[in-house]
Amino acid sequence: MLDSAARLVEALTVVARDGAIRAGRGLSGLMGQDIVIHVPSVRTGTKADACDAVGGDESIVLGAYLSIAGDITGHVMLLFPVARALECVDLMCGQAAGTTTEPDEFAQSAIGELGNIVGSAFVNALADRVNLSLHPSPPTIVNDMASALVESIYAEMLSEGAEVVMIDTVFEDRSGKTAGLLIVAPDPACLGRIEGLAA
Amino acid sequence: MTSPPPSARRVSVGIGQIAISQDPNEVLVAYGLGSCIGVTAFDAQAKLGGMAHVLLPDSAGKAADPREPARFADTGIDLLIKRLCEGGALPRRLVMKLAGGAAVLGPASAEKFKIGERNAEAIRERLKQHGISPSAVDVGGTRGRTLEVFVGTGKTFVRTAAAPASEL
Repeated sequence: MLDSAARLVEALTVVARDGAIRAGRGLSGLMGQDIVIHVPSVRTGTKADACDAVGGDESIVLGAYLSIAGDITGHVMLLFPVARALECVDLMCGQAAGTTTEPDEFAQSAIGELGNIVGSAFVNALADRVNLSLHPSPPTIVNDMASALVESIYAEMLSEGAEVVMIDTVFEDRSGKTAGLLIVAPDPACLGRIEGLAA
Repeated sequence: MTSPPPSARRVSVGIGQIAISQDPNEVLVAYGLGSCIGVTAFDAQAKLGGMAHVLLPDSAGKAADPREPARFADTGIDLLIKRLCEGGALPRRLVMKLAGGAAVLGPASAEKFKIGERNAEAIRERLKQHGISPSAVDVGGTRGRTLEVFVGTGKTFVRTAAAPASEL
């Protein structure tokens, strides 16, 4: 018999795999080449685990934040260490790796679009799984210390009055390097429903 | 002084935690404050430094959870001051500073939750009840901050992703 947290991770792993397939499809269309997002693991972690995945508390990350509205609320954030974000921008734009050297306006806009595609894909996968109507907001570009971003989501969740389950999905490339971190934090009220679908 | 003495030892004060130190070689640090607020305290006579890493404004009457004693501004500030006094500090001698309370997730989220802003108000209000007015404050804005206090000197520094350490 799995405990509640294990059931939740199992259910969300299914959601994450579905989300990854959808996101890969969206990105492949955008970039005109096959993009596969590999999702090695889904886990419920602490803030420190989440920050460690992208280089530690003070590591500067670039990414996109979307809030979820609709039948339930929640938060989605896609973060990359800055160097990896810039590599993604080059890939998205069909440029040689290393072309983009600064998180300038163009790079931020590209990362916003990436966050939009990946974040929306996961939100839609979750919505279908729990049969709820969920709407991701337009992306807000974030470029700051990893810890400041993760703890702010933690605070917003806790201010709603329940303990937090933050799901972080670490994306890796083929060499096993961390490409990015996706945090999905659904409203605590929705977790029972997701859990119930795991069986 | 913008860099620590070579022997300084950094002690990370995580979310909801309180740290008190009398070791002059220690630096208490709250890394990457977003909407959270770091509160530093120093009593030069008692040679005592302290820090609380506050997450939310109001405990709504709940007792502080020992695993996160400074999760809330009201109960967290009370406990920080109590523990400083147990270490020999006097409230009237305490030099206290605040940093953090930013809106790092963008304007829509800031407008909805206002957590950083509410944290700052709640902490000021609680300090006032203890007869303390913060001597320096760096709160609000849209940038995450790292806050540190040197226990040996009481010197306090803030840095962001965009700016190197500057004295608070």
